[in-house]
Amino acid sequence: MSSKADWKTILEPVNPDSNEPLFFTKHEWDTVEAIASRIIPTDHDPGAKEARAVVFIDRYLSGISYIFASADGSGFLEIDGKHAHSWRARISDLQKVYRDGLRVVDEVSLSNYSKKFVALDIESQDAVLVKVSGQPKPGAVNLGTTEPATTFFQFVSDDGLPFWPAICLHVKQGFYADPVYGGNKNHMGWKVIGFDGPKSLKDTMDGTYTTADKFTGDYNWGDLIPVLANQSDFPVPVKSEGMYN
Amino acid sequence: MTPKVKPAPVDVVIVGLGANGGTAAKVLSEAGLKVVGLERGPWLKNDKHYSGDELKFVNRNYMWPDSKLTPRTVRRSETEVAEPYPFSMTPQLVGGGTNHWAGWVPRPRESDFMLRSLHGDVEGASLADWPFRYDHLEPYLTKIEWEFGVSGIAGADKTEPFRSKPYPSMPLPPTRWGKKFYDACNKMGINAFPIPHASVTNGHKGRNPFNRTSFWNQYGDPSGARSNTATTFIPEAIATGNFELRSEAFVREVVVGKDGKATGVIYVDEDGAEIQQDAKVVILTLGAIESARLMLMSKSSKFPDGIANSSGLVGKNATFHEYLFAIGFFDKDIDDPVYGWAGNYISGGTMDFYETDESRGYIGGSITAASQTCHPINMVFPGRPLWGQALKDSDRTFFSHAMKIGLILHDLPQEANRVDLDPNVKDYMGLPVARITHKAHKNDIAMGKWQVDKNVEILEMAGARKTIPVYLDQMTGNTCHQHGTARMGFDPAKSVLNEWCQSHDVENLFVLDGSGFPTATGVNPTLTMMANAWRCSDYIADYYLKGREMRLDQPK
Repeated sequence: MSSKADWKTILEPVNPDSNEPLFFTKHEWDTVEAIASRIIPTDHDPGAKEARAVVFIDRYLSGISYIFASADGSGFLEIDGKHAHSWRARISDLQKVYRDGLRVVDEVSLSNYSKKFVALDIESQDAVLVKVSGQPKPGAVNLGTTEPATTFFQFVSDDGLPFWPAICLHVKQGFYADPVYGGNKNHMGWKVIGFDGPKSLKDTMDGTYTTADKFTGDYNWGDLIPVLANQSDFPVPVKSEGMYN
Repeated sequence: MTPKVKPAPVDVVIVGLGANGGTAAKVLSEAGLKVVGLERGPWLKNDKHYSGDELKFVNRNYMWPDSKLTPRTVRRSETEVAEPYPFSMTPQLVGGGTNHWAGWVPRPRESDFMLRSLHGDVEGASLADWPFRYDHLEPYLTKIEWEFGVSGIAGADKTEPFRSKPYPSMPLPPTRWGKKFYDACNKMGINAFPIPHASVTNGHKGRNPFNRTSFWNQYGDPSGARSNTATTFIPEAIATGNFELRSEAFVREVVVGKDGKATGVIYVDEDGAEIQQDAKVVILTLGAIESARLMLMSKSSKFPDGIANSSGLVGKNATFHEYLFAIGFFDKDIDDPVYGWAGNYISGGTMDFYETDESRGYIGGSITAASQTCHPINMVFPGRPLWGQALKDSDRTFFSHAMKIGLILHDLPQEANRVDLDPNVKDYMGLPVARITHKAHKNDIAMGKWQVDKNVEILEMAGARKTIPVYLDQMTGNTCHQHGTARMGFDPAKSVLNEWCQSHDVENLFVLDGSGFPTATGVNPTLTMMANAWRCSDYIADYYLKGREMRLDQPK
């Protein structure tokens, strides 16, 4: 067994234009693509369909070869040892969640509209997804209000998720994850929301990618921290010196 | 069962090479002692393994323990069956939590060491004073700031107690959202300052801090900017020639000899071989959950309830903090972007709400700081629409127009809040996992409410046009802060460790992580833990292993 520190890099970045499923059947592929188009729809900006979320999800569910990109994004890590065992079990569970979930989507479509999901108009598709999710369609987020929540667990793995929250999470991932995983084609997800992220993962490892321009350029510590004027034990700086200036 | 493989005995064996194990490794190997460090996880290299991959680091847990392999379970009371839940899953690898952390390192306050003296008996809580005071720790806080690398502006926090030196590195300039925070605080008469940060912006100690990516909290840092023991103290320990690091080494038992002292530890290596490493001193630095678990698993005829547990207190009085916050949204059509996703997680903060003001309806208080709203997949946005046009519209509208002000909840210790061994759930080694029993105290709930509401006020003063306050319901372990499971004290009946984090029962067993903290403090604990680990390591090298003893007097 090899340590996580020694996992080899295999394969290449996923081609977002591929139409060859590794896991889904052709019908499942088409259904996932249609659902993804309702989760992040296309409007004046591209949506999950153009960003190739379906490719991202298919590769993820195909086994354990596309779980972790190598640090520089040149390929994928070959998971080994106890971690391989654990990821095989996790993906196997997810495969079943998807197979069953997609079957239910078609069953609801057929029983309500006598057509499979992919053949429905978008209003009917949304109505089916509302039934599948068991929740109303999410409404717009508006300014001018306060909406309390309770304690929040921030780090979202998909362990144990039922079909609907799982596919919503995975479509979002396929829209926003680094393109090495097959989605977010040409960074189009990032462009939609104005995230000027790195051109490649490698650019985040060597200083090429910088967000220095997102800091405040025009400032003076003495203005921001008025108490500095009253203290004399240590030198009082005007601005920071170093890498961000 | 006695393992066949027994490497040569050493002076000190350290179990767990995170913030505190890394500190002990440096101090003891530099003192000329022969030290072996055992780490159950891998030894990842920052320049080879880390980059800004949100999916890998945040969603697929590349660096975090795999909860299928090493689950934890949680319940709220004695009567419940604990359910698997990834509670406080601090990364387990060389460097530990200093790999993923944002790196907030504020100093504790004088009041943190004497809550019992200040407040007496608080119903439902088990307050205790620390067996030493801020003044005992101050020289070591300074050592960590300089040796490990901390940036900040000395004197900017008017509530800070005495410090003997300024910082070795300037902080980052304020982010755009940080500037909003400073401006709002100044309008409200609040003393805002750059939260001390375990990172350097200069070439301190030869570091190359080139990371300007904003991939920070939860990500490994490929550069020399963030202070991580895997890139600082551990290489320094190795350079002495006295320290040997063994990664992928899972310690399952601390062994007790006939004389009642620890003889060493048994671990399982990557290939499943059992190995016994003997040492004159055993140091546990696995974090307060896993250190307690290992002590409880180390049963012997002398210690049927777990090593060093004659008090019955191992695992009890656990405190975990909780990260609470409020989000503020701005209007994309009117307001400039604040780029909530940019920065090295934290920017300005304040300690103005830290000390007790009983008119607020609770005792204690918390550090408050503005911080990132994070990256596209995992934007911190409670109530983010799950799907449809509403999801796309809100992401497009608010991604660069959101900011967050959070706090570290200073939770009170309660004896019933504890870590023990789950009777049903096992890890991949077949060993019982840590079970967390925890229920928030009413003081915790009240503190969370008041402080989050204060954050909303600051956001509104900053011009936010919508706010989302996040209040405490129950602890989720979202801070990765762990304390209290082997509390320090003078009385062996009421504490597990003495003032040097040395077991009352087993004189050559030391627990140098947060396990010894009698109370949680309201600041991020790593600076305090590391300073205390250094202080106690000095005691091991200068006193214990020289056959000498020194006791502190009960502080007034």
